[in-house]
Amino acid sequence: MMVPGLRRAGWVALGASLAVLAPAWPAAAQPSADDIMTRAHLAMYYPGEDLRSRVTMRLVSRDGKERLRELTMTRRDLREGGEQRYFIYFHRPPDVREMTFLVWKYPGKDDDRWLYVPALKLVRRIAASDKRSSFAGSDFSYEDVSGREPEEDTHKLLREEKVAERSAWVVESIPKEPGSVDFGRKLSWIDKATWLPLKEEYSDRRGELARVFTAGELKEVQGFWTITKRVMKNIQTGHWTEAVFTEVRYDQKLLPDLFSERSLRAPPAELTK
Amino acid sequence: MKRWAVGLAALLLWGGAAGAESLPIRGFLQGESAYRLIQPDRCPGTQRSACREEFVLGGGRFQLELAPRGERWGFLGKAEAIQDAVGGDAEINLREGYLDLRFPALDLRLGRQVITWGVGDLIFVNDVFPKDRVAFISGLPLEYLKKGSDAANITVHWAGSSLQLVLIPRFEPDTVPEARGRLRFHDPMASVERRSTDEPSPALGNTEAGARLFGNVFGWDLSLYAYRGFFHQPTAESEPGGLRIFYPPLNVYGASGQGALLGGVLSLEGGYYDSRSDRSGLNTPVENSSVKLLAAYQRELIPDLTAGGQYFAEIMEDHGEYLNARGAGMPKRPAVRHVLTFRLTQLLWNQTLRLGLFALASPNEGDFYVNPEVKYNVTDALWAALGVNLFGGPTRTENGQFEGNSNLYAVVRYAF
Repeated sequence: MMVPGLRRAGWVALGASLAVLAPAWPAAAQPSADDIMTRAHLAMYYPGEDLRSRVTMRLVSRDGKERLRELTMTRRDLREGGEQRYFIYFHRPPDVREMTFLVWKYPGKDDDRWLYVPALKLVRRIAASDKRSSFAGSDFSYEDVSGREPEEDTHKLLREEKVAERSAWVVESIPKEPGSVDFGRKLSWIDKATWLPLKEEYSDRRGELARVFTAGELKEVQGFWTITKRVMKNIQTGHWTEAVFTEVRYDQKLLPDLFSERSLRAPPAELTK
Repeated sequence: MKRWAVGLAALLLWGGAAGAESLPIRGFLQGESAYRLIQPDRCPGTQRSACREEFVLGGGRFQLELAPRGERWGFLGKAEAIQDAVGGDAEINLREGYLDLRFPALDLRLGRQVITWGVGDLIFVNDVFPKDRVAFISGLPLEYLKKGSDAANITVHWAGSSLQLVLIPRFEPDTVPEARGRLRFHDPMASVERRSTDEPSPALGNTEAGARLFGNVFGWDLSLYAYRGFFHQPTAESEPGGLRIFYPPLNVYGASGQGALLGGVLSLEGGYYDSRSDRSGLNTPVENSSVKLLAAYQRELIPDLTAGGQYFAEIMEDHGEYLNARGAGMPKRPAVRHVLTFRLTQLLWNQTLRLGLFALASPNEGDFYVNPEVKYNVTDALWAALGVNLFGGPTRTENGQFEGNSNLYAVVRYAF
């Protein structure tokens, strides 16, 4: 068994060495598709040891009808690239206000998820087998919020391309277990400078374009590049969701106690403002 | 108690006037109606209105909620003005009103509050807290099934586990269909007009006490429960000149566990009901002691389609004594009541449309309850629900007695 602290140090060392290598990556020695996707996964879902942010999601239907979801999201990593915990507090709309949502994410196994329903004072455990389900009715799935393990897909580096003046690697990902997901193929445009996905195209199992993700805005927060505006569009229904991240803070030294039943029932005051 | 509610409503309104920015005020306006689908036949005199009224529910309510909070404290006041068009009256009701104090390893909640225990879906083993069964039968949203208790609720946290202690000095019974009410129910002594209700008085010896020890062990949510108090559903006995309705003493000891299994959620719960005034099983009006067991499994079949099933058994202790104590002509319950439930929920249109079906049936007693419902979130602020509550089975069974209350209900809510 590996000592978690050592494991963590190992990852940090790996991250540091990659960071040194990154700016001067020789054109001849391109990173492998697996390397790119692993680094992209860490850049997108594991920056800092913890995160706290306000998220405003605008859900827009084909005919322009809008719904709003406003929430405070916190995340704490137990291990870089590994187990994570998420705690989410909903500010609005009224029918979900004060609802809280807790996820214990384990790589390679189903998450544990709990939802607290304030009107009933009830903590309810949620079945979590399908990570492709919509998160809070948006076009983002649970996996879009908390990440999909790179090991679940086979990756192939197709080409290099510019997305809005930024150089990117274009990687094709095919699920190893096609029956377990709703997409048959994913194309990712990974920013060479930040390792963040600038764009993703999901095709369904018949090969039709189904969903498109676009990074609308990138900001550097406490040294971590962060996509602060994310858009996911369902091409087949015309429905799309824009998620705007504000008040992004990393390394807040969030306590493990935050990710517990106690917080579900009585979330800390600073998250509910 | 009413005066307190009026005072709170005034406070809420004053808060609104003082500036909604500084005080978190919200609420909703709701219209509600339920049309009786099955007209009851042969109504006894004490249930005349249940047979006369076409609607089991009709009217509306306005709820205001005030919830200021600070770093270490919080307050919640939730009051409702209810207009009952069927009965032709109006009332103000304080649903919840409590103060929260938060210490590093201790949470304290004082006042009227809803407390929910256990893992069942409309099946209650260790959830002994008061319920409004009339609201539930009448098609009001699920939150109205739970009533507030005037309680002191202390939870201590240490090393990943928690101990909750609940003290309820003032007994609050379940709201159940009663004589001269709007709902039909099985009443073995329906012809008796004179009834007196004997609730446990607010005394130290009558204070209800509950404890719950809980924590997460290897991903499983485990709880142990203990309760000392009273049955919340009334029972009745003859007394000179009429009927005495009362709430027998009760202890409950139980446990529950909930965790992930094969991509779904497995829930298990058990409880022992110690009926303190009928330990022999010979006290006819009082329920015998019993064991209640629940096993449930829920799973998302495909995105946004979830199915769940439950098996519940209620095993009566001293069934032989029960049979002997009941007279030859009196109805008798089996030693074990088996119950199966099934729930299917489909979310559509980015989770704005919910199609739900809940069905409960007892294979050996033959009663059932079926509730299909469509709920649509028209906008973020406005939702509407339409559904059917269908009850059936032999008249003397838990759900069969409510057949004549089966209804088609509609609820519309605008929240702000």
